[in-house]
Amino acid sequence: MQISDIAIQIDRVTRAFDRNRALDEVSVPIRAGEFTVLLGPSGCGKSTLLRLIAGLDTQTDGTILIEGQDMRGTPPGARGLSMVFQSYALFPHLSVRQNILFGLAVRKTSRAVQAERLKRVAEMMGLGPLLDRKPSQLSGGQQQRVALARAVISDRPICLMDEPLSNLDAKLRADMRVELRSIQKQLGLTVVYVTHDQVEAMTMADRIIVMNGGRIEQVGIPEAIYARPETTFTASFIGTPPMNLFPASALFSGPANLTVGIRPEDLHLTDAGPRADLVGVEYLGADRLVAGQINGTPFVLRQPAQSPTPRDRFHIGWSQTAMNAFDATTGKRLHDFDFSSLSPNQKDFDHETA
Amino acid sequence: MIGETLFDRILIRAAGTILALLWIAPLAYAVWAAFHPAAYEARFDLLAPLTLENFYSAWSQAPFSRYFLNTALLVGMILAAQLVLCTLAAFAFARLDFPGKSFLFGLILVQLLVMPDILLVENYKTMRALGLVDTIIAIGLPYFASGFAIFLLRQTFMTVPKELDDAARVEGCSLIGVLWRVYVPLGKPAMLAFGLVSVSHHWNNFLWPLIITNSVETRPLTVGLSIFATTDSGTTWSVINAATLMTSAPLLLGFLLFQRQFVQSFMRAGIK
Repeated sequence: MQISDIAIQIDRVTRAFDRNRALDEVSVPIRAGEFTVLLGPSGCGKSTLLRLIAGLDTQTDGTILIEGQDMRGTPPGARGLSMVFQSYALFPHLSVRQNILFGLAVRKTSRAVQAERLKRVAEMMGLGPLLDRKPSQLSGGQQQRVALARAVISDRPICLMDEPLSNLDAKLRADMRVELRSIQKQLGLTVVYVTHDQVEAMTMADRIIVMNGGRIEQVGIPEAIYARPETTFTASFIGTPPMNLFPASALFSGPANLTVGIRPEDLHLTDAGPRADLVGVEYLGADRLVAGQINGTPFVLRQPAQSPTPRDRFHIGWSQTAMNAFDATTGKRLHDFDFSSLSPNQKDFDHETA
Repeated sequence: MIGETLFDRILIRAAGTILALLWIAPLAYAVWAAFHPAAYEARFDLLAPLTLENFYSAWSQAPFSRYFLNTALLVGMILAAQLVLCTLAAFAFARLDFPGKSFLFGLILVQLLVMPDILLVENYKTMRALGLVDTIIAIGLPYFASGFAIFLLRQTFMTVPKELDDAARVEGCSLIGVLWRVYVPLGKPAMLAFGLVSVSHHWNNFLWPLIITNSVETRPLTVGLSIFATTDSGTTWSVINAATLMTSAPLLLGFLLFQRQFVQSFMRAGIK
């Protein structure tokens, strides 16, 4: 990877509020032309990081490079980026046209250029008939488009988005996901997108940065994040329902300091294997979620809705390749763990109960 | 059960009417006296002849045109200075962080509690030291930094969503640019409401201008009118009333014409 491929380089960036560190020595490259999603629960520092990149806030320590330039002391307007906000941040006293042209007007771009770009962007976003309205006369989806148009018209290579879809209803959100992604591809934008919604992250991202507690848990393509979580946090955050985490002792007569992760869809009912108690069943149409308990550890199993509902006690099975091994103390993935060294837990409950 | 009976309704309407009549009576008398010859000052006759003679006479007996000019200059100057200074101060208090911010804002709130008349002597001394006694600037200077305007505008600016501020900065606005393009347009109703309070207050202000001015070139309407009404033994009530009407006419007309806008902006700014 060459230097020029990196649009934004975050290098050991810390942001402290009093004693509390919202970001703790975070380092990550963000590649040019990619759709990068910052994903994490509330308070994980993802919005703080976005505001630091935008220059709306200043880091306590560390450097942020955009296109190779140290951004310390550079005002937001001079960083070559645009931004879309959660509340859309449309100026209520300006018309749609004036809102879209706001940045160009501030920069005193010539009228001819303004008109030409406005025409192109309004067409692309389907805003033509709405240009003379005020933001308060638009629906949520239309306001969202105006906010996007304002970012796109600036012709800046980087676009930062702070949960831009969270105020839309489910149907519109699904449509906008597709549209956002196609706009990004079409214009070759470098997008940094903050969300706590993993569906948005999974469907749109080229690369996901999973954050927790002011630190980066994992960086990777969506498939890698889902299939090979690097930490127990990522494992228990990604997926609905997330990966089941068992202490190894619940499944194997093996080492104590080991957590085994298995996705709900990788578990199935068998006649042999560890035995579980049924807790509840949730019917989802195509699938059924079976909540169970094994030696006190709760887990979820996903099965096709056609298969038979398990009885009060049932056996579960899984394939060797579906297992993920984590260090129980640090929560870190054990990369070269050899599962064949473990022997299955053959505690036979049948004899106790019979 | 609480219902409005016929008796209640009559009582409420009657009380309202009486209050309104009491309030309008001086003004009605002023209009009556101003448009009739001096003989009808204290005699009500529907068929009394109408005349504009009193206005001519008042206008020619005192330099009202100069007083009008002085008042207009005074009111315009105070309002302009207040809007500029207080908008800047309010923006700083609403959105910037600097040491001693809450202490300074506390001082400004204290200013709201001090009655201006208490400071008459002190202000006079200050104006003397500045060599500004008997100038129009001296009448306005003590009112430029209005605690009320700073407070009102700060409260208004604080209701502006932070994301609008952020968006403007990302789009390339400087600090002053953000103030001018975002805060000022959104603060307009509050500014209009304050402007109204300020203009009517300073148009009618009397005590301080009376003390600080002593020549025709600086005297505002209120002081000019009082001198006109007291010193000259020859003036009659009808002429004084004509002069009073003239001096208050611009404000009265303004309020009547823009009544609706005024009420709306007061409601939006939240002051009554």
